Amino acid sequence: MIDKVPPVTPEVRAILERERVIPPLSPTVRARALAAARATLANRTVPAPPPRAPAPWIRWAAAAALTVVAGAATAAVAYHRHVQQLRASQTVAPSPMLEPASTGARPAAPVALPAPAPEPTTVPASEESRRTKVAVPQEELRLLRLARAAVAREDFNAALRPIAEHARRFRDGRLAEEREALRVKALAGLGRTDEARRAATAFESRFPRSVLLPAVRRISPHGE
Amino acid sequence: MAELRLIPSPPPQPTRDEECLDAFQRELDYIYRSLRRLGTPMSELDDLAQEVFLALQQNWGEYDRTRPLRPYLFGIAFRISAASQRKRRREVAFGVVEPDDLGPNPDEALQTKQMRGQVLAALEQIPLKRRAILVMHDLDDVAVRDIATALSLPLFTVYSRLRKARKELEAALRRQKREGGSL
Repeated sequence: MIDKVPPVTPEVRAILERERVIPPLSPTVRARALAAARATLANRTVPAPPPRAPAPWIRWAAAAALTVVAGAATAAVAYHRHVQQLRASQTVAPSPMLEPASTGARPAAPVALPAPAPEPTTVPASEESRRTKVAVPQEELRLLRLARAAVAREDFNAALRPIAEHARRFRDGRLAEEREALRVKALAGLGRTDEARRAATAFESRFPRSVLLPAVRRISPHGE
Repeated sequence: MAELRLIPSPPPQPTRDEECLDAFQRELDYIYRSLRRLGTPMSELDDLAQEVFLALQQNWGEYDRTRPLRPYLFGIAFRISAASQRKRRREVAFGVVEPDDLGPNPDEALQTKQMRGQVLAALEQIPLKRRAILVMHDLDDVAVRDIATALSLPLFTVYSRLRKARKELEAALRRQKREGGSL
């Protein structure tokens, strides 16, 4: 069956080779991950959550019983009101039976309750917000890719433009952390050491737990 | 009167949690890298790694110690990544900046970064369920049978996904080449 899977070309194999090596994590990230794992274990042993959560059949049975009781109560209230109105109408106008019956049906409606008001507006609104949320990262990503490509070819001036635009349009965007790290790199690359240092300090105070922090410290002039 | 003697107590056995934490610590680099290969953005790496640990810890009793750990871990990482992507359902930061990207040795770091970035960007073009198989087979050298076990898939499905994933990877790399440069 393995014969049916064509082997990768030597060129692709060579490219994949580069990704085979697993780079070691920085000591900061490693320490953070282990500390979090230890904390998870410590927190987990205190409350001892496992033996709760009733069996599903119990939940179903409870739900069914509740439904039956609610239905019976609703029917009883409706019947009671209907009988009362019937009596009242008989004293005022004894002849037609239809009228009290029809009016009697009315109060039953609110008792039968659930029918929640449909909210047609909420659906498009949430959909729209979802759509804009989808659109934003694409645009964020595009800008950051531009900046990153410029930094990669050491055109630091060109990198600052998409960085500035990203900062203007997505100040607290999902990629703000990457943007600010790139800013430090670009400023340092341009030899604007004071600004790079300031940007690095701002980065550190804004993202104190960032995985990029050690790298930012390394490039920022005072980090050495 | 009976004489009291000190009997040396047996060396303490590591608890289940300690064993699990130890395994997690040993494979931390692999877990992070696998999550990256599966498309986890940098900003979510820490959180998802913790989810992997939690899942590992909860299932540690059922893990068969005679089998290699990495495929098992990858299976967990894959499920967690898939759930996370379903939640996000949008493309976010991927390989925009890596910590290594900003290293002090620009030439070497840049070249390595670009090469790695190229592979990761190409991998990202492959749908997750096929990418996972390609990564396991072609990067981690996991046998098809073990992949099928780790991902709970029929053998045939693994083969067919691997075949398709390779084609997709080649196409993605060709496209990168045409567009001139990595991401």
